[in-house]
Amino acid sequence: MVDFSWAPRSPLEKALVAGVHGARRIEADVSLTEIRNFDLVQLMARRGKGTDLAKAAKARFGVVPPDAPKVVQTPDATLIWSGPDQFFVLSKGGKHTVRTLAPALSGPASLSDQSHARVLISISGAKARTMLAKLSSIDLHPDAFPVGAAAATSMDHTSVTLWRGNDRTNGQAVFNVLVFATFAESLWHTMLDSGAEYGVAISHSENLA
Amino acid sequence: MRIVCPFCGERELGEFTYLGDTKPVRPEAGASEDEVFDYVYLRDNVAGDTSEYWYHGGGCRAWLKVTRNTLTHEISSIEPAAGAGAAKVDA
Repeated sequence: MVDFSWAPRSPLEKALVAGVHGARRIEADVSLTEIRNFDLVQLMARRGKGTDLAKAAKARFGVVPPDAPKVVQTPDATLIWSGPDQFFVLSKGGKHTVRTLAPALSGPASLSDQSHARVLISISGAKARTMLAKLSSIDLHPDAFPVGAAAATSMDHTSVTLWRGNDRTNGQAVFNVLVFATFAESLWHTMLDSGAEYGVAISHSENLA
Repeated sequence: MRIVCPFCGERELGEFTYLGDTKPVRPEAGASEDEVFDYVYLRDNVAGDTSEYWYHGGGCRAWLKVTRNTLTHEISSIEPAAGAGAAKVDA
């Protein structure tokens, strides 16, 4: 028997080089942070069971899951709209996984583990919105895309789930992007190219924003 | 051209894929060759309002039924196709 050891690695492990990319300024105006080691479960209501799923999710999470493109925050999870009658549960620490959610939710919904299928990139900084405007055709102005807004959309021909998290303590907006793992490196390079003129501070973190 | 997805709002054309006319109905098993030929190959080339299936693959992945004027590209109605949104549309 061959011994296998499974060391989880980020799909961005090679592409992500912590430090500063592009223009050297006193402070980089775009900050790109990959968030690693999260739990991500997608729930999709079974045919005709959308209302039942909303009820079961309310009982499980204490909040009604999003029924429009936005996110709903609970003390230990973020529920992100991903399409009609479907949403993601993003969390950390094994509390909300397929195994723990299935007993309460697998009746009205199909559950699928996406923890290792997506890469989560958090974008902030003074020029974050200007940089994203090069990649996204949707309006990210605060009036149109406030804190808690979400979108299932495309960036650079790649499907992404985009949402605006809570602002940083300095008031700067935070945009989060979930992208398919195999497309992450491509989108990452596009983001670096788009942000280069503003200076990009690159890092990774284990903490959900 | 922009399409207003009933779930996502107004989005650029690049997020959508065109399937085609909503009208052709798959013939019953045992239908004549002419009927099958008609279903597979023959389409009306309407100058005016047509009903079309569009797929929001670059977004919420819902199928939409779009009424579009082929002369002006004006879109007069957009609704979810049957099955889009498990709770919203009866099977």
